Amino acid sequence: MHLKRTLTILAATILVVGCASSASPSPSSGPSAAPAASTPAASGSTAPAASAAATPLAADPAEAVIPNVESGAEIHFWTFYLSPTFDQYIKDTITRFEATYPGVKVDWEDHQATFQDDLKNAFAAGNAPDVINLSVSEGWVSDYAGKGLLLNLDDKVPQAVKDIYFPGLWKEQLVDGKNYQFPWYQGLSVELINKRLFEKAGLDPAAFPKTIDGIPALCQTLKDKASTVCDIRLTVNDLIAQMVYEGNVKPISADGKTFTFNSAEAVAWLQTYVDMVKAGTVDNTTLTTTDDRTGLLLFSAGQAPFYLTGPNLIRDVKSNNETLYNDLAVAMAPLGKSNVTGKGLMSISVKADTKFPNASMALAQFFTNPRSMVQFSQQVAIYPSSPKAFEDPFFSSPGTAIEDSARPLAKDIIATYADIVPTIPKKADVNEIVKKAVESALFNNVSAQDALNKAVQDANALLAG
Amino acid sequence: MTARFRATPYLFLLPAVALIGVFVVYPIVAVFYYSFTDYDIVRPPVWIGLDNFRKLLGDGTFWLALTHSFVYLLVTPTIIALSVCLAIVVNRKLRGIHIFRALYFVPAVSGSIAIGLAWRWLFDRNGIINGVLQTLGIIHTPIQWLAEPGLVLPIAMLLTIWAGIGYYSVIFLAGLQNIPEELYDAARIDGCSDFQKHWHVSLPGLRPQIVFVAVISSLAALKVFDEIFVLTARTGGILDSGVTMVFYLWKQAFTLQHAGYAAAIAIVLLAITLAFSIVNVRLLERREADR
Repeated sequence: MHLKRTLTILAATILVVGCASSASPSPSSGPSAAPAASTPAASGSTAPAASAAATPLAADPAEAVIPNVESGAEIHFWTFYLSPTFDQYIKDTITRFEATYPGVKVDWEDHQATFQDDLKNAFAAGNAPDVINLSVSEGWVSDYAGKGLLLNLDDKVPQAVKDIYFPGLWKEQLVDGKNYQFPWYQGLSVELINKRLFEKAGLDPAAFPKTIDGIPALCQTLKDKASTVCDIRLTVNDLIAQMVYEGNVKPISADGKTFTFNSAEAVAWLQTYVDMVKAGTVDNTTLTTTDDRTGLLLFSAGQAPFYLTGPNLIRDVKSNNETLYNDLAVAMAPLGKSNVTGKGLMSISVKADTKFPNASMALAQFFTNPRSMVQFSQQVAIYPSSPKAFEDPFFSSPGTAIEDSARPLAKDIIATYADIVPTIPKKADVNEIVKKAVESALFNNVSAQDALNKAVQDANALLAG
Repeated sequence: MTARFRATPYLFLLPAVALIGVFVVYPIVAVFYYSFTDYDIVRPPVWIGLDNFRKLLGDGTFWLALTHSFVYLLVTPTIIALSVCLAIVVNRKLRGIHIFRALYFVPAVSGSIAIGLAWRWLFDRNGIINGVLQTLGIIHTPIQWLAEPGLVLPIAMLLTIWAGIGYYSVIFLAGLQNIPEELYDAARIDGCSDFQKHWHVSLPGLRPQIVFVAVISSLAALKVFDEIFVLTARTGGILDSGVTMVFYLWKQAFTLQHAGYAAAIAIVLLAITLAFSIVNVRLLERREADR
């Protein structure tokens, strides 16, 4: 009797635990799973229609720049968060591609909140797409390339084709010195400013700090005079990159064997945030969230004085809070101590073991070429990855909408984009160690120096193990 | 004819067995296998023997998660006590009592993610709770509830209790309605107060339901995930203040891509819940036998 009951309990327990472990929701299956920070052009379920339905462009043989494309190739292409807003643009571009490279067929799918899970599962099942839209800002290219899953483009793409792109973008996110992506659409980091809260604090939005050094004083003023706190988000998924851009920190030794992010520069970088937390001038939840939308929603609700995001997401503010949209100012994102304005946003990569490498590279290149990019930029506030695209008169005229105000400046800013973060071995695990160190300094009264010393020690042990 | 007769029940069972085999048995066997491998989901697993389990022993976050999961078990006695009380309260013939019963059950039929989001908004810096406290002059600066490491787990537990009371009270209500009225009459004749009546009649009568709820709710507490996931916006809370076993399992598998390590955590969780269930039932059975 007891045995029977025990077996019953065993079976029930296995079922319960089995279900818990096998059916736990994936990170992106929850409702708060909007892709953090990567701000794809059409992210968000309420993305409005593209600003203008573009007339399909005629095929131009000059766009066929990749040689030896396999005839009869059928390639699969996945994009990230572009449907349904840009369905017509994608379909028209594919039609033009198929006319430019006759005999090649493209099967396109857009994946959204579950993109990463779908892609990992597809790689595991051996049916990953040939051509993949990957986020550079989230480090996806280096993640997949580091696992040998992406095609090295350096020795396969003709030099003339490489020269189409901004050099900094072609070289962004190198893995062991090799490039695995065609740079696609780019974003600008801008500070959205709630003019009403700034006026309440007696601040001029036009005088927004040009460097991050000015942020703590700004937040203190906003707290003292407008009784509000700043919505600042640490890049929790890639804190080392943030240290590098903002604090000019050298995170790892030149030989890549020892971590060095406990330097004076790193401590100073962390101490800035520690001081703001202690002063109570920042929203702690937004500061440490992985979800870019947390801060954007607070800002859209009129509860934050400013928020760093892309101009393409200004339309979210418009759709959520038209009153705030009409009371909005935009400033360029303040520079960190590295003086590098930023890094790329989106790219297109090719699967390493594709049956049709040339056709796949051709499609990736086609979507990122100047002609395709100009047409895309005309529909949403994103920017091309090639200097030639900026020669189009569209980019010299500021739009009437506030989200287009940065357009004339975009070329000069994007030209300076560069990935200055060296390859970090075991990046996700090291980031987790850094995250714990940062949190213990911010919220657990551990000194910034001690926290980073411990993190370096743990990260070095990880490398040695 | 005989052979066909014997095969018939198995043919009826086949669809269910196939489904359970594919969606339950196979994943569990796979989890056992992966727990001995280094597996990042996208590349084939590599056999590493007991390394994942050795690593668990020295992993501070794992022990913290385990502690949090055990702390979360406090939900079980609380939810039983409150559910029994609620069941007693609604087990009356009052006008409109069905409406109250239905209202108490609403959280049970609401999605955990929806409830979690609603609670997140309640405890938001600009949420209702801070608004009320500020209006009443109790606080002057909003409290960042979910950014306070000491508050994440209690808030999640409160949410679980609130969401579960309605469901469990229905189970107890059904149990109460099966207790013969004569027993209450006898207790009344013996001079029992209302409290004594429930202590000596209702609670013993509800013993089977209490055993059932204790096992089910403690297993649910040990595998809590949704509440933490939503309340902490996928982070597990500042300083891992809300990380539980299943949340840590998820984080290792899907954020850090250590599916093999996550599988080892799942095995440990399985062992713990199994042992816990056996002990739980045995203790309650022994108490039953002692009576």
